[in-house]
Amino acid sequence: MIELRDLTAGYGGGDVLQGVDLAVERGSITCVVGPNGAGKSTVLRVISGLLRPRLGEVTLAGASIAGRSTPDIIRAGIVQVPQAGGLFGDLTVHENMLVGGHVLRRDRKRVKRRIAELAEAFPILGERAGDKAGDLSGGQRRIVEFARALITEPQVVLLDEPTLGLDPRASAVVFETTKMVQSLGATVLMVEQNVRFGLKLADHGVVMERGRVILADTAEALLARPDMSALFFGSTPQAGEAAEGREEARKSTAAGSLA
Amino acid sequence: MNRAAKLSLAALGVTLLALVPVVSGNIYLQNLLIMTFLLAVLASGWNIIGGYAGYISLGHSAFIGVGAYTAGILANRWGVSPLVVAPLGGVAAALIALSLSLVTGRTRGAAFVIVTFAMLELLGLVATNWPGLTGGADGLVLPLPSWSVDIQNWPFYYALLLLVVLSVLMSIAIKRSKLGLGLVAIRDDEDKAAGIGVTTPVYKAIAFMASAVLVGVAGSVYGYYVSYLDTSALFDITLSVEVVLAALIGGRGTVWGPVLGAAILQPLIEVTNSSFGGASAGAVRLLLFGGLLVAVALLLPRGLLPELERLARRILRHREPSLTGARLADRPVPEFLRRSAPPVAADGTAPPSLLSVAGVSKRFGGVKALDGASFSVRAGSITALIGPNGSGKTTLFNVMDGTYRASAGEVRLAGDDITEWSRTRRAFAGMGRTYQLPRLFDSLSVLENVAAVTDEFRLRTLLASAVSGAEAERATELLEFVGLGDYVDARASELSYGQRKLVELAQVLMLDPAVILLDEPAAGINPTLIRRLAGLIRSLNETGRTFVIVEHDMHFVLSLCDPVVVLSRGTVIADDGPQAVSSDPAVLEAYLGDDFVAEDIDAPVGAAR
Amino acid sequence: MTLLAQTLIFGLLTGGVYALMSSGFTLTFGVMRVINLAHGALLIVAAFFTWWLWDRTGIDPLLLGLGLTVVMYGIGWVLYKTVIARVQRIDPELTLVASFGVAVAASGVLSLIWGTEARAATPSYFNTSISLGEIVIPRAQLYACVGAVLLLAALYALLRGTFVGRSIRACATSRNGAALVGIDVERTMAQMFAIGAATTAFGGAALAVLYQFVPDSHYVWIGRVLCIVVLGGFGSFAGAAAGAVILGIGEALTAAYWDTRWTTAVPYLLIIAILILRPQGLFGARHRLEGATT
Repeated sequence: MIELRDLTAGYGGGDVLQGVDLAVERGSITCVVGPNGAGKSTVLRVISGLLRPRLGEVTLAGASIAGRSTPDIIRAGIVQVPQAGGLFGDLTVHENMLVGGHVLRRDRKRVKRRIAELAEAFPILGERAGDKAGDLSGGQRRIVEFARALITEPQVVLLDEPTLGLDPRASAVVFETTKMVQSLGATVLMVEQNVRFGLKLADHGVVMERGRVILADTAEALLARPDMSALFFGSTPQAGEAAEGREEARKSTAAGSLA
Repeated sequence: MNRAAKLSLAALGVTLLALVPVVSGNIYLQNLLIMTFLLAVLASGWNIIGGYAGYISLGHSAFIGVGAYTAGILANRWGVSPLVVAPLGGVAAALIALSLSLVTGRTRGAAFVIVTFAMLELLGLVATNWPGLTGGADGLVLPLPSWSVDIQNWPFYYALLLLVVLSVLMSIAIKRSKLGLGLVAIRDDEDKAAGIGVTTPVYKAIAFMASAVLVGVAGSVYGYYVSYLDTSALFDITLSVEVVLAALIGGRGTVWGPVLGAAILQPLIEVTNSSFGGASAGAVRLLLFGGLLVAVALLLPRGLLPELERLARRILRHREPSLTGARLADRPVPEFLRRSAPPVAADGTAPPSLLSVAGVSKRFGGVKALDGASFSVRAGSITALIGPNGSGKTTLFNVMDGTYRASAGEVRLAGDDITEWSRTRRAFAGMGRTYQLPRLFDSLSVLENVAAVTDEFRLRTLLASAVSGAEAERATELLEFVGLGDYVDARASELSYGQRKLVELAQVLMLDPAVILLDEPAAGINPTLIRRLAGLIRSLNETGRTFVIVEHDMHFVLSLCDPVVVLSRGTVIADDGPQAVSSDPAVLEAYLGDDFVAEDIDAPVGAAR
Repeated sequence: MTLLAQTLIFGLLTGGVYALMSSGFTLTFGVMRVINLAHGALLIVAAFFTWWLWDRTGIDPLLLGLGLTVVMYGIGWVLYKTVIARVQRIDPELTLVASFGVAVAASGVLSLIWGTEARAATPSYFNTSISLGEIVIPRAQLYACVGAVLLLAALYALLRGTFVGRSIRACATSRNGAALVGIDVERTMAQMFAIGAATTAFGGAALAVLYQFVPDSHYVWIGRVLCIVVLGGFGSFAGAAAGAVILGIGEALTAAYWDTRWTTAVPYLLIIAILILRPQGLFGARHRLEGATT
């Protein structure tokens, strides 16, 4: 569905992504994991058009979308759900939905129809329609953000750290909502720090490190790996010294990109 | 250019200017220079608050009016020359500045702009509407000068020239002093400045008074020069615009920039006045000033002098010491840090708690970042504070060091309840803190960054040279201790990320702190530096210094820290030795995936597959 | 008693006009955190346009004010694109200085075109009033206030009920979130600034009818606007509306019970007093903490 080939991108002087290759299967949930600073969120920023790649290709169902503007990419069928804090807290829930249909603003009927359809799937949209989004609980906010992204009937939904700062109940809501998004027909590409959460939710897992993909497998296979915690936890005593060298390499890359 | 050359050049300039009235009897030229001096004094004064401290004043010309009326009224009452009472004009201006400092004490930039503007307009209205004092709209006539016509405007000329010299000297003195260092620190990062012991409200008040006092004196002289005080002319905001413009053109925050700006701007004003007659002269002038303000903001935001300096530096290509040359040899902990080390508890008795938080909560709107967090830090320990992203570690640091006030709960330091203390007071009490992304004062040198730290407030040393004496030695010694001895003269902005972290550590050590909070010290720096940092922390700890460290790098944490406190969702879920914590299943779950979620979602996952 | 009632009504009518005059400033500050010191000058520009058109055509000045909305929108757009947006990129701290420069330059241009004489637009109903028992309501005040309140309602509807309005409010809360739903943030900011400027059209027209003005009057008016937003706690529309009424009534009381000469001092006194005693504004509008909670 989405394919990245040799993607290179960054901010200012450094390249955060150094040749990322990644393919996302239609209808699947794919989760990108990896340590801080590996470039996970940057991958999403490039796909959603917030950041122009320096090199490489991004294709959606075979058509190139690299370097196009965010509204164009939304129209093409990819929507990103931002990290916590991307909800418009001063707007009502209903208004958030309307803004979600920004690129469809000439087609009011369609927006209206979509909001009605989504309210069936996510009852809270109807129940709290007139309330300020900022007054909702953490999990409820996430539902609104997910629903907001679905207004444009995207083929692909990008999730950036969907459980960041959420309590367990809200995380469970995110889990179910993501499954729901998938069942509504969308392909999901997500970035998640909470590795087990992400891999239990996903069909496929991708491990990134230092701006590259170092491992891609089914989520189940990744979860079953004995060196799982070493991969994501940094060097725990259990992981032992083997992980140390890798850890230090990572730190030095991070220093290089920050210096 | 070295100091002696600068000094002789300045002396030459002053001498030449002093000779002008003697050599040439041209009244027009004298008037032009008098007006230029006046603007230079104004712009120099403005620069102390607007340039050094970064608080833009739009009402600085009010101090001209205050000085003029103070001297004029007193001279008429007491029957003396306004020149005699001119210093009182300065005192009056400084007192008004002091009273307005009540505003600057509590608010940031925008409020200051508004309040200075309001002050100017209000004082103008008071002067107009209080005829008993000021003569009101009819104006106030001052006695004619008593001296011989032969010497023309000499007394005004020399008085104002003297004030220009004094203004520049004051600018230099402040720039070189602890006060000046503190003001630049405030401009670069006011929160950080408060955290390293800069008593920001006092510094700002002093700066505002200093920026007003000579302007007030100059106003007294100017009032006598025009001999007729008219409220609309003396409280004219156009003059304030000229002041800001002069300082911006020359270069905010530089010593000579405002003077240069005045020297460029005043002739320009005279030219527009003489080329356009009557009413349209005023209009053209407004258009010119306004246009120039916009143009300078867009095209020359830093001003002429800094741009020239940059150009010169690029041509001369200063060679900076390279990163790779950094010496990383271990050095012993400086002597002054050893001496003041808090005592380590004798064997057998549990060391006392030095820093503790009890039931601390912090809400941001509806989000609860901290939810009843409690733990205590034993004196002499290296305590780690770990937890997954978003668990509230940095928020807890911000509550401990006084950046945030806790919504509930209590923070204690060495037995004192410090929950309501200001950041500066906590710094004085021995708490130092570094940041995840090191916060340095980018317009200062590395040495100045460290020397800007003060561990107690002393009014009398404010004017002491910024980097001198025992403190400069201490700062240098600390920079050598952290391995940056070769970088003392480098700009903070030129350092690499890792080096910035080390400078920030040196800053904190200047406070001679009992407890040091480090926010992700190992993040983003290379392994050699991480090891070096761990060594520094260990040797400082051996002299009895207590550390609290927020860190993601588990190897760093587990090899260095004991105990390890684990924070999850705003509460402490574990507080134990490193071995115990790293095998605690609750901790692993908190990091790798939450227990609750993992169990709760197993079923639906199974069903879906 | 009659005098008090009369004064309060007068102050309330003035406050309604002030509320419209300050709404654009509040909008710009609320969304962009920019203090636009050229706002007073925009009011004066609109007042001059109104007076000049009224003088030439005799069309009702308040109606002209409505028509000028489009013109002021255009001026706001140009001002944003040429100055505000650029300075924001270079050094946000200087936005204040640059906008002040725009104000000063604008007063220079106005002086060159129309001179520095005091002007006022005086339509036929200028000196007439409606009597309710002993209370007298000047028609000009009444019409201006009604127009201002209607326009405020329109502004409210625009922000609440249109795609542009919602986009503006979305950008104010989260620029990142706005960009991700496909909003062109830069363009929306320009629209927002232009709408803020457009509110000065009727505000300026009301000014032209109710007050005498010269090019330099923009200082007085930015003073009033600043006082209103300081009273209301920056960035809050409701606070600003309340601040406008307080200022209107405060000025009216000062004129009625003390001395008209001191009415112009009221805004400055209030600014200084509020900033010293209660810098968060009378109604304690919270400044949003934009820090992450990590």
